[in-house]
Amino acid sequence: MELVFDHAVFLRKDWQLEADGRFLPGIHLVSGKIGAGKTTLSLMAAGLLSPDKGSVKRNDIHSVMLSMQFPEYHVTGSTISAEVRSWGLDPDIVLASAGLEGYGKKDPFRLSRGELKRLHLHCILSRDWDLLILDEPFSALDCREKKDVCQRIDQKTGGIVIICTHEQRFFPHVDVIWEIQCGTLVRTGELPHALTRWSHAPARIRKLVEKGIIPENISESDIMEASCWMHE
Amino acid sequence: MFRKVTIPALSIHPGRTAVIGPNGGGKTSLLRVLSGIALPQEGSITIDGVPPRQCEIGWVNEYPDRNMLFFSVKDEIASPLRFRNVPCSKADAIVTNLAEKAGIGHLLPRPVKDLSGGEKAIVALVTAVVSGPDVLVADEFDSHLDMETFEAAERLIAQSGASYSIQCTQNMNLAGSCDHIAFISGGKVQHYGTPGEVFKNLAGTCFYPFDWRIRNGTGL
Repeated sequence: MELVFDHAVFLRKDWQLEADGRFLPGIHLVSGKIGAGKTTLSLMAAGLLSPDKGSVKRNDIHSVMLSMQFPEYHVTGSTISAEVRSWGLDPDIVLASAGLEGYGKKDPFRLSRGELKRLHLHCILSRDWDLLILDEPFSALDCREKKDVCQRIDQKTGGIVIICTHEQRFFPHVDVIWEIQCGTLVRTGELPHALTRWSHAPARIRKLVEKGIIPENISESDIMEASCWMHE
Repeated sequence: MFRKVTIPALSIHPGRTAVIGPNGGGKTSLLRVLSGIALPQEGSITIDGVPPRQCEIGWVNEYPDRNMLFFSVKDEIASPLRFRNVPCSKADAIVTNLAEKAGIGHLLPRPVKDLSGGEKAIVALVTAVVSGPDVLVADEFDSHLDMETFEAAERLIAQSGASYSIQCTQNMNLAGSCDHIAFISGGKVQHYGTPGEVFKNLAGTCFYPFDWRIRNGTGL
């Protein structure tokens, strides 16, 4: 199973994104400035956008899901229960796991954005996907939900998970870090070695690396443990 | 929202206030009535003795798309000035200056529909502060920003001149740097005070700032 960007180039009038690389099963983190092309990369990976040059190949990938940055773009049901059913899931089970029991007959747009994001992610993460692309999965979530989403992502094994995010604190255990720099997708590397080269690293991780402390990974517990070494 | 938010009494001090709390706790509802977009069903809100709808308020929606009214970024940011009949040449100069400060000068000719989510969020903030509002109310736009843009946004807010800057955020390090914090949960303001006062009540929860944990050596 692999996702291959083969010299893929997406062109716009005053902007372009070049991607050349292989995504193998595991958890991949993509970071970059706003407008760098993370969403464009996500759309190309999901097959919703074709590159102007090169190609994107999804080898031995039979199920693909893209979670868009704004959860409202996914809503098709007029009630919360209908929305859950539109994902082929049992509303009672999903609403219980999302802490939204009793809200089934409500309009999804009456939820707060954080709740809508939570509902959406619970629907997506209730199933297994060969290729799962999460565009800013943590935006709008409170810290408890971010931790829960990290745990759920950590439990996804066997498939390719790509997370595009600006999150600074909560991460699952990541296998590979990628960055978009000056319009080009760059494979920063596998963890933990990639942390010394990660130009978009959160401030806390940057401080650790500057002091010569390389966390094992970037989950909250990894960073806390590494920070304790700094105090010793 | 379909749940009740009840605030028997709350006095928010001038300066920077972070509104924090779990999803669905009532943060957005509070911001909507503070901004005058919604009215409370009971009771009243005043800002220095005046109802919100009679104040100059800059508003950043939690859904950046809902802030956008015009085709191009330049027209969007200029709109609050044009509604105030600021001469075009003066409005253009203000817009260009502020956009450059925010690091989005290159976006001015772009259609807003072509922007990324993070770009829409920073455009919404610049639009909210361009006319120098007395009150800035921002609903968690910061979760869409990279660190560099976040820092530019922080400078914009600091230089906005707003007497009250009230921002919902899930960034507890940011909340810790504000003058005051309101922690809302279950439709009630559970804690209000300085960051030290509020976070003292949240020690042991994930709402306690990560950097403070490290600093205090309190562990997880």
